[in-house]
Amino acid sequence: MSSEILVKKLPNDIGGDAGGKIEMVEHELLPWEKRCHALADVLDFHKIINTEEKRRGVEALGSEMIGKLSYYERWIVAFSNILFQKGILTPGELATKMAEVESRYLTDTALSKANG
Amino acid sequence: MHSEDHNQDHDHPHDHGREHDHPHEEISITEAPGYYDVMETAVRELLVERKLFGPDEIRRQIEVLDSRTPALGAKVVARAWVDGDFRKRLLEDGRKGCEELGITFYDDTQLIVLENTPDTHNLIVCTLCSCYPRPVLGLPPDWYKLKPYRSRAVYEPRAVLEEFGTHIPNDVEIVVSDSTALVRYLVLPMRPAGTENLTEEELASLVTRDAMIGVVPVNYQKRAA
Repeated sequence: MSSEILVKKLPNDIGGDAGGKIEMVEHELLPWEKRCHALADVLDFHKIINTEEKRRGVEALGSEMIGKLSYYERWIVAFSNILFQKGILTPGELATKMAEVESRYLTDTALSKANG
Repeated sequence: MHSEDHNQDHDHPHDHGREHDHPHEEISITEAPGYYDVMETAVRELLVERKLFGPDEIRRQIEVLDSRTPALGAKVVARAWVDGDFRKRLLEDGRKGCEELGITFYDDTQLIVLENTPDTHNLIVCTLCSCYPRPVLGLPPDWYKLKPYRSRAVYEPRAVLEEFGTHIPNDVEIVVSDSTALVRYLVLPMRPAGTENLTEEELASLVTRDAMIGVVPVNYQKRAA
């Protein structure tokens, strides 16, 4: 396949491509997915990241990540990247906070085991 | 570590929570939150710390999201069927029409309502992503957002509709409308025959989510008395 098509059609631009049978799949959102959706709306309300920026942020992940991450996984990674680009957060700050969130979970688990 | 399904058994959303007839299992998180789950919490907490939004805003928005279901869209459709003046205003400005019925739009999106007629059948898709009219339909199901529907709806709508058992005769034009982040669509389906004596509420109960994006018609089967 010529590389031209990659230039003309970015990963989200799939209207008109060949596609398989439509399977009517749906799932109840996981709690974090619903929070992620609400986060998207709140970011939009406050004009921090609007819907179109989010869509482009997802597209900027590239086709491999788009293919391998689930819908809301793409959103939260795109939000992080956009927040870095806007200088609102740094990758270091996010990494530190993620470690803190994880260790908080581990502490809570240890505590509940000790109390249980 | 983050399959779509594996958490659902023990931590499912509680849309039917009040009517559980089985004892509720103790709500416990039995495994560590996944990478993306942790990332969501971290991003949110950092932004709240920076005072970019308040700590309560996410919870309140979840309540808004939970309050939006296709029943709202169905109410709009039923009103349009019984009230010609409303129908006209709705087709002129979808958002204002919905707002007339007390349905607030919590975002900046505009809504264009497309009316099905004996000559024209409308189908809605968001080929680029997942822009559907959430304030009146709720969150879209996965399949509206997945490749088969998004890619095919625009070039072989008749075949797509046939997959749903919807046969559109060849002399009826199919118009496919592709949403953007700011402009969303809602289909006003045709009122089914035999519903002349139904109340507005009964009419609304016939209207399904998928009928409002145009993949199926609204059907009515008169119950035997």
